[in-house]
Amino acid sequence: MTLAIEHVVKRYKDFTAVKDLNFTIDQGEIFGLIGQNGAGKTTTFRMILNLQEPTSGKITWDGSPINSINRDWLGYLPEERGIFPQMKVEEQLYFFGKLRGMKQEEIKKEVDFWIHRFELDEKRHDKAETLSKGNQQKVQLIASFIHKPKFLILDEPFSGLDPVNRDLLKDAILLLKEQGMTILFSSHQMDNVEELCDHLCLLKRGVSLFSGSLLDLKKQYGKTKLTIRTDMQKEELVKMVGVKEVKQERDEYVLTLIDESFAKGIFDVVAKGQFIEKFSLDYLSLDEIFKDQVGGDNE
Amino acid sequence: MNKLGILVSQLYKQKIRSKSFILMTLLYIAIISVVMFWTEISSLFKGEDEALQIALIKETDVNLGQIFVSNEEIEFSYHTKDVKTNMYEQVKDGTLDAVIVFSDENKNLKAEIATFSPLELNDQSEISSLIQYAGKIYAIQSMNLSAQEAEQILNSEPIITSISLNEAGTEGKSEDQKQSGIWVSYLVGIVIYFFISAFLSMITTDVASEKGSRALEMLLVSVKPSTHFQSKLFGVFLLALTQFAILFGVIFALLRFTDGGTKWDMVTSLVQDLSYSYVFYVIVFLFLTIFLFLIIGALFGSLVSKVEEAGQVMMPAIMITLVGFYVMISGMANPDTLLIKIFSYIPLTSGMVMPMRIAATDLNTIEPIISLILLIVTVIAFYTLSLSFYKRSVLTYSSGGVIQKIKSVLKFTT
Repeated sequence: MTLAIEHVVKRYKDFTAVKDLNFTIDQGEIFGLIGQNGAGKTTTFRMILNLQEPTSGKITWDGSPINSINRDWLGYLPEERGIFPQMKVEEQLYFFGKLRGMKQEEIKKEVDFWIHRFELDEKRHDKAETLSKGNQQKVQLIASFIHKPKFLILDEPFSGLDPVNRDLLKDAILLLKEQGMTILFSSHQMDNVEELCDHLCLLKRGVSLFSGSLLDLKKQYGKTKLTIRTDMQKEELVKMVGVKEVKQERDEYVLTLIDESFAKGIFDVVAKGQFIEKFSLDYLSLDEIFKDQVGGDNE
Repeated sequence: MNKLGILVSQLYKQKIRSKSFILMTLLYIAIISVVMFWTEISSLFKGEDEALQIALIKETDVNLGQIFVSNEEIEFSYHTKDVKTNMYEQVKDGTLDAVIVFSDENKNLKAEIATFSPLELNDQSEISSLIQYAGKIYAIQSMNLSAQEAEQILNSEPIITSISLNEAGTEGKSEDQKQSGIWVSYLVGIVIYFFISAFLSMITTDVASEKGSRALEMLLVSVKPSTHFQSKLFGVFLLALTQFAILFGVIFALLRFTDGGTKWDMVTSLVQDLSYSYVFYVIVFLFLTIFLFLIIGALFGSLVSKVEEAGQVMMPAIMITLVGFYVMISGMANPDTLLIKIFSYIPLTSGMVMPMRIAATDLNTIEPIISLILLIVTVIAFYTLSLSFYKRSVLTYSSGGVIQKIKSVLKFTT
């Protein structure tokens, strides 16, 4: 294990932002920290980055306190978008590279590679303030990992990106992982978390509801999502044994089961030994689990 | 290069190439040049004006020839009383600007100035002083004094010397020294005021803009808040030094290489008049005060959430500089007031007020030293306090006034 957060608490004068947080991240894995606004994600990131001190608990990197490690091993993309508005794109990336102790040739190699990869070739001599929001975000993202940090924290990296750029970013994150980088990121878009993360931590008002592998989280709920295409009516489906809820989505029904063991009985009733176009039993999506865990009492 | 060096050089390079810095420096140079060459510039405009035509008519026996001498600005002509009406006509049709008729009234010289359009204030005062002088001569003439006696009366001037009976005290300054001290200190006060306003605004806006754009959060992962704070202070201070050096260089070149160096000689004699310790105090007060305001500027800049709020947090500091400036201006009339004395010890205003006291009053040598020590102690205290506060304020985003923002920082970081 590389990063370990043990019993971390962050308390302010009149409220507690993070309560007894525990999770670990192994080297080279992508870890997702998910939760609503105000769940304590940014506070956790800031404590890891030593921008804020935990009230109690400890954060270690390879066994050493996080505040004693080389700062250049870390990379960070803040949630709010922003770079130096008056600086040119290339100038900006060179500045961050230099600040992180890189040599001129190394910076040039990385800048050329990433500018091309993020399709910013024509913008490299433009001032940052003249770029579109999405392009500014790409520049800021490159700036956060230009120095090839060992550990990269991305706070909401996908927000504000169009689908094409989202794919570019996803590929970039996977490439960084291949290079051995450990990545911790937060996102409101659960499909991104589901696609990228090996492990995750689910936060609600500073409390960790779950921490572990995505599959383990899904297994907790079991395969309770049943999608079928049938001529039967909704009313008939609701009455079946083991069915908690039925939703109609276009020409399909999505059933939530009390337990996956009821699926076979339902199949027998719906198919009646005949051919059936669609009968699919799945784990709940992360989005559904998230809503189940933190939803219901949205602020 | 270490991280502090990289940040300082980035800030310095960016600011020194910025349009606002270049324009500000050029504007200062333009103002300095205009002030230094004011006589030449004003003569350029005046050169085209025709000299005033003034006719002098004597109705009594008075010697005017040696007093009313024509120059570039006024041309006098002498006439007898029989052409008076004709002269008045010439004033009306614009050939003459004024007619002055001299007559006797109870052994006093009476001068009646006839004009069609009123004379300008400058010309009025010049003519009045000439008439007054002529009046004295007329009075002396009527007393039938000898030439030597008349000479003695006209040229008599009291001899004033002052001695100090306090053996421990220093010798007092002459009135001339104090007068030139007032003027030099006035200029120094203006320089300090402009430098503070410009660089205070620069550092506050810069920190606020980095914080507002969240670029600061990315920087703080790599550098400590204290390093960032120092980089802003030293970077902007270096800019202030650069601008000072440029302006000083321009002034030096203008003084040394124009008019065959006569202006330079004037300045060196003025500096000698004021003493070199005065120059030392002015420079030390100037830079320490700028540094103190930069600390305040960086700290206030770190309080805001976006750059638009920078003006709001800068207001208190700007108000203090304004107060200092006006107190200094009040010293132009009388530099010995209690107000001036008090403000010459307050660290934020002493830079503007103390130089005036040093140059224009007879103060004890210990006084500027105490004021300087107070300033140095304040700079060190502010610097230390700001370092710890800055670390907490740069990542706290809050709304409301300055006090509210400070409260938020304390609430969220303790």
